[in-house]
Amino acid sequence: MGVILEVKNLTKKFSGLTAVNDFSFEVRRGEFTGLIGPNGAGKTTLFNLISGHEKPSSGTIRFDGRDITGMKPHQIVNLGIARTFQIVRSFRFMTLLDNIAVSCLSPRGKKVAKEYGIDEYASSILAAVGLVDKARIPPIILPHGDLRKLQIGKALGTNPQLLLLDEPFSGLSHEEQKGITDLIIRLHDDGVTVFMTGHVLRELMHLVPRVVAMHQGKYITEGPPQEVANNRIVLEAYLGKGSEQLA
Amino acid sequence: MRIIIVKKKISNFPSYFRDWISTFRAKVTIICLIGLCLVPLLTQNPYFLGIFTTFMIFTLFAASWDFLAGFVGQVSFGQAVFLGVSGYVTAYLIRYLSFPWWLSLVIGSIIAVLFGLIVGVPALRLKGPYLALGTLSMSMIMYQLFLMGSLATMWEDAFGTLLFGAEGVSQITPISPNIIIEYFITLLIMCVSLLILTHITKSNVGTIFKAIRDDETGTSASGINTTNYKILAFMISGLFAGVAGGLFAMRFRGVNPGVFQPLYSFYAIIIAAMGGLATISGSAIGAFIFVFAGELLRETQDLSLLIFSVILILFIRFAEHGLLKPTLERIQELWDIVLGR
Repeated sequence: MGVILEVKNLTKKFSGLTAVNDFSFEVRRGEFTGLIGPNGAGKTTLFNLISGHEKPSSGTIRFDGRDITGMKPHQIVNLGIARTFQIVRSFRFMTLLDNIAVSCLSPRGKKVAKEYGIDEYASSILAAVGLVDKARIPPIILPHGDLRKLQIGKALGTNPQLLLLDEPFSGLSHEEQKGITDLIIRLHDDGVTVFMTGHVLRELMHLVPRVVAMHQGKYITEGPPQEVANNRIVLEAYLGKGSEQLA
Repeated sequence: MRIIIVKKKISNFPSYFRDWISTFRAKVTIICLIGLCLVPLLTQNPYFLGIFTTFMIFTLFAASWDFLAGFVGQVSFGQAVFLGVSGYVTAYLIRYLSFPWWLSLVIGSIIAVLFGLIVGVPALRLKGPYLALGTLSMSMIMYQLFLMGSLATMWEDAFGTLLFGAEGVSQITPISPNIIIEYFITLLIMCVSLLILTHITKSNVGTIFKAIRDDETGTSASGINTTNYKILAFMISGLFAGVAGGLFAMRFRGVNPGVFQPLYSFYAIIIAAMGGLATISGSAIGAFIFVFAGELLRETQDLSLLIFSVILILFIRFAEHGLLKPTLERIQELWDIVLGR
């Protein structure tokens, strides 16, 4: 299993604040990895850097052996990294089918979609995320759980090798969480490399075999979730100093 | 492969047409078109036919703005730039180089497309109100450039009139000395242009345009190069505004720097807002009201902009979706009652 994503000494400074500080880690092909850290740890900024929505102050990001540091978001997507956003984004006044079709019309998505026809391919993705019966309605009237599914569908339309999921469970009920969990597991079984964040440890614990821990922009540790959860710095980050006695 | 698809489309055309004609919208469209074709039978009065021709030109101009604002989300206040540039080029070619009108119109429109590129590239870095301000100042620059107050007199003394000065280009020949032929040519150009614009909004490219309108960051996260598509949208809008500009110059037998005034951009916005944003064909209703009300208000020309501004505010307050959709719904209800459904 080769390394698909390699982040080295990545730093992002906003005026006066270092959101990501000399961060290095790797994701191997076909792996299922989680990124944990309390609110404000810099997880979303790290995602924005990888997906090209923000430019790093220093450091490099390599995808599949290729340096993608500083590339534009659409270029990165067309190399095979798709992402979802923590705050759901959708094309509000377009049907769900068209929402997915936009991704299928990207150069990378089109290569696959062309064989089946854009609309047919988009509706097969809608079926995969469980929204095919709502294909003709706009997302403004969808419940939050369906919007999360739509996000994943939009990412799938670009035919990604690596899927970055930013807090895919935030704001969902228990049942909705389960639906998304099943979906993500299915995608991973189909061969997509998944890298996802979560600030609640419990959600990720049962799902991923390996987590990377982040706190105040810095790399802390990585390993199986149980091990990481018992790490002193991780506990401090979540519960405050002196909490190791409690745990 | 491509040929097979085209063949398939052609063989499917009768059924596609049948589907379309069965919709209520299609019936209304056809009735309106027949109505417009019958107008010259009712009156050969050049004054009335002239008003109708003006109405069609403004429809096209407003539709080009509506395409950019309603479907791509780029609110431009500089649509007059395209109108003026194409108007000037068309007028110049007809007057001084004696080109035939259609060739002048084509060249004028192509120059307007190039201006779409020139406006589009800097506009990419501007969003929302800044884009509006940027395009507004662009049209004011063009206005001043073609008017050229103090600088122009200096230039004139040395080289002769710069860019035709405040007089503009006048005395150009119309499309045809026969007003009826002019009427039908304008009608044909308007219908074909609106058809193409509507078709673009329903195509795959149109899907991407609408995505950019709804969420630009999200569109780039879907792997779309939003920069290229925004430039393309400005060029398409420039093309049709340019066609309107060329027709405008021929209709009024000339152009002057006034066409670059932000006023003309506001006309497009007023018309599109009256018809309804993101409808394309709504511009026809808006332009109809605008041009005919404009003729009625001819006596009070100084007040007309004030009156239209008030109308625009009322529309924004009470009918933000414009007239097209509610009107169609009312007519459909009436239709159903008449048929006894």
